[in-house]
Amino acid sequence: MEKINIICVDDEREVLDSVVRDLDYFSDLFNIEECESAIECLNLLEELDANQEHVAVLISDHVMPEKSGVELLTEVELDPRFMGTKKLLLTGLATQADTIKAINNAKIDNFLEKVWDPEELLQTVKELLTEYIVERGIDYQPYIEKLDAQTLYRLIR
Amino acid sequence: MKKYLKYILPIFIPFFILLLPATSFGIDGLTLVEQRVIAIFVMAALCWVLEPIPIYATSVLIIVLELLIISDKGLWFTKVDSPELGHLISHKVIMGTFSSPIIMLFLGGFFLAMAATKYRLDVNLARVLLKPFGQNPKYVMLGLMMITAVFSMFMSNTATTAMMLSILTPVLALFSRADLGKIAFALSVPVAANIGGIGTPIGTPPNAVALKYLVDENAISFGQWMLFAVPFVVLMLFIAWLLLTQLFPATIKKIDLDIKGQFLKTPKAITVYVTFIITILLWLMGDFHGMNAYVVALIPVAVFSMFNIISKEDLKKISWDVLWLVSGGIALGVALDKSGLAKNAIDAIPFAGLHPLLLIVGASLLCLLMANFMSHTATANLLLPLVAALGASMQGLLPYGGDVILILAVTFAASLGMSLPISTPPNALAYASGHIETKQMAKVGMVLGLIGLLICYAMLYLLNKISFF
Repeated sequence: MEKINIICVDDEREVLDSVVRDLDYFSDLFNIEECESAIECLNLLEELDANQEHVAVLISDHVMPEKSGVELLTEVELDPRFMGTKKLLLTGLATQADTIKAINNAKIDNFLEKVWDPEELLQTVKELLTEYIVERGIDYQPYIEKLDAQTLYRLIR
Repeated sequence: MKKYLKYILPIFIPFFILLLPATSFGIDGLTLVEQRVIAIFVMAALCWVLEPIPIYATSVLIIVLELLIISDKGLWFTKVDSPELGHLISHKVIMGTFSSPIIMLFLGGFFLAMAATKYRLDVNLARVLLKPFGQNPKYVMLGLMMITAVFSMFMSNTATTAMMLSILTPVLALFSRADLGKIAFALSVPVAANIGGIGTPIGTPPNAVALKYLVDENAISFGQWMLFAVPFVVLMLFIAWLLLTQLFPATIKKIDLDIKGQFLKTPKAITVYVTFIITILLWLMGDFHGMNAYVVALIPVAVFSMFNIISKEDLKKISWDVLWLVSGGIALGVALDKSGLAKNAIDAIPFAGLHPLLLIVGASLLCLLMANFMSHTATANLLLPLVAALGASMQGLLPYGGDVILILAVTFAASLGMSLPISTPPNALAYASGHIETKQMAKVGMVLGLIGLLICYAMLYLLNKISFF
């Protein structure tokens, strides 16, 4: 079975913990990684790529010291090694200018506001994960119980 | 340890078989080549049952191992001449299984299905055909099942299921939490897809595997197959519909399936419609034009390639895994037959004492059981060469219609295995919708499997009575 990662980035420990807790549903079939900064995330990405692991979904906060979430997601968007990685911006403090950049440059796949609804986050990640798996041609069958059925039907027909 | 057993057994047991002395099999004059065929067969069975590697990889492995150890161009030490060596098989014959006429028939089927999906013929047909069934949940479900079954006769059961479920799921969300009708609807699609696959030789891979053994005086044309298989499908669908509406009645009064879009009218789309119709007509009228189903299957391949209806990019999406899975089954049959093992082994086993009806019932029940737990195609790949060899050698079978009956009973049984989410990809997809419990699927699947076998026996009995074959 392929190793598929979901990465969460937030500089506030409590927020990070709560995102990870909401995504616990995926933890038996997927690997959930936590990063406290964009730099840490970029290092992790290098490591995962070297091990030929998949980065299916990247969930990032925006306002962080050193490097912002939108900058991180833009870098990932332009890196051919992470083509297809689904990007979710999870923030309460993005200005309109940031949001425009997030859409135009980072080409994010989803935007959720803090405070988020755990159900909505779970459903969004489910859909993004399903899209990644089908689009990358990974066999969906081993993961089927954790995927979004409707998205799966739409994509494989 | 238990975790590794699925890797250890398929390696060691075949090796052990290779090392045994030839006399230990109880088959007179067993040659070295025949012994190697036994080892390959056992390896294939273990790999398909335990699935240490993908099922299509097992097929490729069979073909490559046959080339290495039982072909005329294999490894040097496998060809050392001795009285016990036996018949080496031509490497061209083994490689030829990749492009056997049966594979070409399926390729043609793939082209038709891909073009139909790309030019939205499937969705548009579904929309038009569903209209007459109105909005009463009971009849909408009947319509849904009939359309699913017809589509799965020409498209893969999995693709058909995914398409119909994508139409259905938004509607299921409107059902109340306690409404059992949701279960009926979610189950109706995979059930209809599995049953529908039986309808034509290209409906599902086990049918194609069966065609390999239905040759010469037993040959069945495309039209002949449909002549008995389609009524079977219709009857089974009706029973399945009754069963589902009785077990899980819907309380919702009205449902409205909303399918968007309209028939495409571009020249390419019209080419697809016309080619589709002509190909099916040619398949059905095999007697008039002299072309068999295999030759006809290549016509859409040429037409769709010529007009760029199936483009270079589309070509990459062909399910090579399915084609190779079938090739491996054919290669297994070739090895059993051409090495002389099939004939030799059957002579050694005293089947004369066995009642032929017991053989038909036993083989089809075994097939049904296996198909519930593993791939339908892999089940057919393993069982059909064995029953074909058995059937051909058994004189007692003749009054019951000969080996055709035996082969068809086992082939139909392979498609009727549908009582678990793991039984077939359509079942897995429907189970993923979250509306069905395994218990409910098992109940419906087992009842339909057993009823299906009984109807199949009755049908074969009647066909024999009217000397259809």
